[in-house]
Amino acid sequence: MARRVFAPLMAGLLATSPVSAQSLVMAFSGSPTSADPHYHTFSPNIALDSHSYNTLVDMDPKSRPIASLAESWRLVSPDTWEFKLRPGVKFHNGDDFTAEDVVYTLARVPTVLNSPGSFSIYTKSVVSSEVVDPHTIRLKTNGLYPLLPIDLTLVFMIPRRLGPNPLNEDFNNGRNAIGTGPYRMTSYKPGDRVELERFDGFWGKKPHWANVSVRMIPNDGARTASLLAGDVQFIEFVPTSDVARLGTDKRVALSQTDSLRLVFLWLNRSHQVAPPFVTGPNGEALTTNPLNDLRVRKALSMAINRNAIVERVMEGAAIPSNQFLAPGVSGHVADLAPVPFDIAAARALLAEAGYPKGFRITLHGPNDRYVNDGKIVQAIGQMWTRIGVETKVDAMTWTTYISRASKQEFSAFLLGWGISSGEASNPLRALVHTYDAASGWGSVNRGRYSNPQLDGMIKAAMAVADDKMREAALIDAERVAMEDVALIPIHIQKNIWAMRAGLTHTPRADERTLAMDLIPAP
Amino acid sequence: MSATVQREITPFRRFAADYASNKIAVVALIGVVIIVFLALFANLIAPQNPYDLAQLDIMDGRLPPGAKSPAGWTYWLGTDDQGRDMFSGILYGLRISLGVGFGSAATAGVIGSALGLIAAYAGGWVETAIMRLVDLQLSFPAILVALMILAFLGKGVMNVMLALVIVEWARYARTARAAALVERRREYVEAAECLALPQWRVLFRHILPNCMPPLIVIGAIQVASAILLEATLSFLGLGVPITEPSLGLLIANGYQYMLSGKYWISFYPGLALLVTIVCLNLVADQLRDVLNPRLQR
Repeated sequence: MARRVFAPLMAGLLATSPVSAQSLVMAFSGSPTSADPHYHTFSPNIALDSHSYNTLVDMDPKSRPIASLAESWRLVSPDTWEFKLRPGVKFHNGDDFTAEDVVYTLARVPTVLNSPGSFSIYTKSVVSSEVVDPHTIRLKTNGLYPLLPIDLTLVFMIPRRLGPNPLNEDFNNGRNAIGTGPYRMTSYKPGDRVELERFDGFWGKKPHWANVSVRMIPNDGARTASLLAGDVQFIEFVPTSDVARLGTDKRVALSQTDSLRLVFLWLNRSHQVAPPFVTGPNGEALTTNPLNDLRVRKALSMAINRNAIVERVMEGAAIPSNQFLAPGVSGHVADLAPVPFDIAAARALLAEAGYPKGFRITLHGPNDRYVNDGKIVQAIGQMWTRIGVETKVDAMTWTTYISRASKQEFSAFLLGWGISSGEASNPLRALVHTYDAASGWGSVNRGRYSNPQLDGMIKAAMAVADDKMREAALIDAERVAMEDVALIPIHIQKNIWAMRAGLTHTPRADERTLAMDLIPAP
Repeated sequence: MSATVQREITPFRRFAADYASNKIAVVALIGVVIIVFLALFANLIAPQNPYDLAQLDIMDGRLPPGAKSPAGWTYWLGTDDQGRDMFSGILYGLRISLGVGFGSAATAGVIGSALGLIAAYAGGWVETAIMRLVDLQLSFPAILVALMILAFLGKGVMNVMLALVIVEWARYARTARAAALVERRREYVEAAECLALPQWRVLFRHILPNCMPPLIVIGAIQVASAILLEATLSFLGLGVPITEPSLGLLIANGYQYMLSGKYWISFYPGLALLVTIVCLNLVADQLRDVLNPRLQR
C-alpha cells in the first residue's frame, strides 16, 4: 500500500525538480588563487576564468588554435598581425565587445600588482596596437613573431568600462567580474567553492547547465569519495590507483585523453669531469663525465622499459613516449622510431663507451609533484641497475627538489613539462635550447644541454611565417634533439576525469575542467 | 662472597616469579623475543633483499598473497607496487623500526637519566636550568618537534633517531630526578658521602642503581612510543628513504590501494606494527606492576 502511494510521488518529485536537471556540482583538485583573470598563470585559475571570460583565439580539445572573439587573423606584414573581431559580442554588463577593449586588456595585463606569475609573458611580444575600426585591430611585434595567436589564447578579455587599474579584490567580490563568457560568477569563496550562473546573452553555443558550483577538493581520496557518494557529479585528476576500480563501477563514467605534459629525465651536462652523484663501479671518482657520451645516454634510455612503467606504475594513464608531443598534436614526429627496450644492446653500448662494468649514479626525483613520480624513479632505478649502472634513488619534496635541480646539483633527475602552446617550439625553446638568461631561451634547460647546431635550427624555424613550413622545420629540430638524447622522454600523461553515469564529457588535452564540456548522455 | 651471590640471585628469582604470574605478559615477552629474533636475522630469513633495486622487478608489482615469484618461491604476503616481497619488506622494516626504537630509547635514556640525576643531586641553578628545559620540551607535542627537526635535517634513519632522542630524553630526566630526590636523602647516601667518596661515584654507583626500576619501565614504554613515532614520520614521508621502507612507509605505500581492494600492501605491515606495539606495551605494563613497590602483593 505504502509503495503504491510513494512510487508515483517519488517519480513526480524527480521529474519536477529543476535543480537536479540544470545544476552541476564539480570538483577541482587545485584552488584558484584569485578570480582576477590576469593575476596568476596557474591552471586552476585559467580553468575557472575560461567559464566567465573569452580570449581572441581559443584552443580546441586537442589544443589546436580556433576562432573565439577573433573570427580570423592574418599577418599583414612580417611584424604586424591583424585580428578581425566577432561582431555582436556582449559583456555580462551589456556593453559591446570592441577593439578598444582589446587595447585596454593588453595594457592592463602587465600592470597587475603582486602577480605571482604574470600573464605579461603572453603580451610582451606586442610593441604597439592600432585600432583600424571597432572590429579590426592590428598588433605590431618586434620583428616576425609567428606565435602571437597562440600566446593570445591565454589573454582573457575584460571591458574598458572597468577604468584605470581595476583592483584584484573587485574581481574576487564580483564587482569587476565582467567577461563575455558563457557563465557569470555569482560568488567566490577562496579555497572552498565558486558559484556560476549561465549568461543568456553569450555569443556562442548555450551550455547545458544553468547553475554550476565548483568545489575545491585537493585530497585525491576525498575527491573520489565525493563522486561515489553523489556529492559532486564531475571530478578531475582521478588518481591512477582508483582508475581500475572506477572503471568497473556502474555509477560512474570516465573520460580520458593524452595530455600535453611530458615526464622525462635530465642528464646533467654541465660537468666535464666527475659530475655529482656519479662514481666508478667501485665508488672511485671519475675523470670523465659519462653523461657527455652519446652512447651512454642512448644506453640509459634503452634500459628503460617504458611500457612496464606505463602499465604497472601509471596503470595505463600515460602513453610511452620518445618525443615531446603526443600523436595528433602539432609537432608530433610521426616517423621517429620508438626507443627499443633492449638490455643487451644497452650493456654493449656502455662497454663500447668504455664502461664495461658500468658506473654508479643517484637518480633524483620529486615525490609529491607529478603523478606517481616517486614510483617512477624507483622503477627506473631497478632498470638501470639491470644494465650495470648501479642506481641509488633519492626522492624528496618538490620545494627542496626544484631549487637543487635548478642549481645543477643532481646528475640524473626527473621532471615534467606541460607544453601549453600545443606545438613544438615551446619545448624546443624552453627545454633544449642552450641556456641563455638574457633572451629567456633555454630558461628551464636544467640539464644544461647545449648543441649549437640545434640552436641554429630552432632560431631558423622561428623565422618562418608559414605555419606548415614552420612545423616542418621544428620537427627537423626535434629529430636532432631526440637523436642526440638531449633528455630522456619517459611518457606523456593522460588526463582523466570521472563523472556520474549518464553524463558525457569531451576531455581536453590542456587539463582544463570546463562545465561547457559536460552534457547529459544522448 | 656467597652472601653477595645470594643477594643478587634472589631478587631476580622473585622478579621472574612475579613477572610469570601474568600469563599474557609471558606470551607478550615471547612475542617480543621472536620479533627481535626475526629483525636481527632478517637477512638470513627473508627470501629477498627488499632494499636492493636489482632484486626487484616492477612487473611483479601488486601481486596478491600466495603468488609465485619468477625465481620459483612464493610471495606469501604478496608484493607492493615496486614488486617488493611484503614478507621480506616487513622483516627488514621491523629491523629498522626496532633499531630506531631501541637505539633512540637507549640513547635518550642515558642522556636523560644522567641529566635528571645531576639535577637532583646538584640542586640550585643547575637543577632549575635542566628542569625548565625539560618542561619546555614536554610542553610541545612530540610529533610536532620531530617534524620540525626532520624538516630541518632532512630524511634518513640517523636523523630520525636524533629527532626521537631529542623528543624523548625529557621524560627520563623527569623520572630520574624524581627517583633520585627520594634516594639522596637516604642514610646509605649520607654514609657514602661521609666516606668522602667522589660525587660522581655516589651519584652513579650508589644512587643510580636504586633509581633503575622506574627508568626501566619508562624505557620499555618509550621503545614502543619511539617505534610508533618513527612509523608516523615515515608514513608522512619524512622518515626513511623510499627505497628502504620501514613499517610506516610500507603502510603509506599501500594506503592508496586500499580503495581498489589491494589490502595486503598496507594490512600486513600494519598488523606487524600492531603486534609489536601491543607486545612491547604488555611487557612494559607487567614490568611496571612488578617493579613498583606500592603495587607489590
